[in-house]
Amino acid sequence: MKRFDYLRPGNMEDAIAALQANDEPSLLAGGTDLLIGMKTRTVKPKCLIDLKGIPGIDGIVYDNGFKIGALTTIRDIEVSTLIRQKIPALSKAAETLGSIQIRNRATIGGNLCHGSPAADMATVLLAMNCEVTVASDKGEKTIGLDRFFTGPNQTVIGKHEILSQIIIPEKTEQFKGVYLKHGPRKAMDIGIVNIAILLDADFKSGLCNQVMIALGAVAPTPIRAKKAEALLTGKELKPDLIHKAAEAASSEAKPITDFRATAGYRKDLVKSLVAKGIQQILGS
Amino acid sequence: MGSKHRIQITVNQEEYDLLVYPDRTLLDLLRYDLGFTGTKEGCDEGDCGACTVIVNGKVVTSCLVLAVEVDGAAITTIEGLHQGDELHPIQQAFVDSGAVQCGFCTPGMILTTKALLDEIPSPSEEEIKHYLEGNLCRCTGYTKILDAVNIAIQQLK
Repeated sequence: MKRFDYLRPGNMEDAIAALQANDEPSLLAGGTDLLIGMKTRTVKPKCLIDLKGIPGIDGIVYDNGFKIGALTTIRDIEVSTLIRQKIPALSKAAETLGSIQIRNRATIGGNLCHGSPAADMATVLLAMNCEVTVASDKGEKTIGLDRFFTGPNQTVIGKHEILSQIIIPEKTEQFKGVYLKHGPRKAMDIGIVNIAILLDADFKSGLCNQVMIALGAVAPTPIRAKKAEALLTGKELKPDLIHKAAEAASSEAKPITDFRATAGYRKDLVKSLVAKGIQQILGS
Repeated sequence: MGSKHRIQITVNQEEYDLLVYPDRTLLDLLRYDLGFTGTKEGCDEGDCGACTVIVNGKVVTSCLVLAVEVDGAAITTIEGLHQGDELHPIQQAFVDSGAVQCGFCTPGMILTTKALLDEIPSPSEEEIKHYLEGNLCRCTGYTKILDAVNIAIQQLK
């Protein structure tokens, strides 16, 4: 690693001031992505601003939906009984991320801000129509997660802004959800394809009221399969319709070929996982 | 740039008052500054679990933690488990069941088991496997390690 300065501000104002005052700073949350980047010299900050000294930005609050502080660890999300009870797809995504050692450090905010198209939290939260709170010297603003990611490892967060909170709407609890992550091994790997599906249906008649389908690792950012969602909404979830929706989702995926999988394999996976996910929800 | 910071930490119940550069990882601090070489450096990117230590009751890969981040923390390394000449029951279980071959993963494996059993005294098979998933072993095929964990569960009851 290149030498750098280390700052640990005690509140959000000081952290934003430190971002403005220092040359080439990086924000440090759990560090499980950042430190690897620094060791391989793909990122070379001159100053690290550690956010762990700021009170009140780690923790899970339930009040008409969840408000999760950006510095909440993935492990805290995984073991939260309230999250497991009300929005289990989020627990599922949390438990598939890294290892216990990583989950004890990695944070939900860090997972979003790192901007990986394969980020587990990003994919599942995108399906939940989340909003995020971003702090700057002008105060706080709220942004929909659908406008958050702008490209691989890129987000809308400005140079002098800090993600402080993730807001999951109360309505999410009405949905049944799944999180499917496909890869050659279960632990310590990034998914070849990640899929989160939230479905609100009349499970007797099979009528789909609303569905959200998010795809990870198959485009420059996590994306919603809007065409597939439109095909299913208001319809009876019959096998041929599910098949059509899965094909639509596959056509919406724009994956790349890399060492994990080819683009074609990823597209095929999207198709089979979307169908499998919907069937899993219907069968549960 | 990068001047030293003062940190105060407890390692295996002994207090240390140290000056560290910000780029010093907890792993290097433990191994090279404090001599706790039971903490192993494997992949150096958080994948293998060989550098696992317990910080404030939670296992972390010490290669992905900066020493400056753990100011005020209580740290347990593999050197902190035995009582005098007595091995910790988890260590003894690893010896008894032949869960140690080359030994490189063993400190991390034992510390993760310790954190597991502190958190869940009677874990299910699934819970054990999920908890130990970040500790790689290239010798044993894991069977003997799972045996050791199960012996330790009985011993600690």
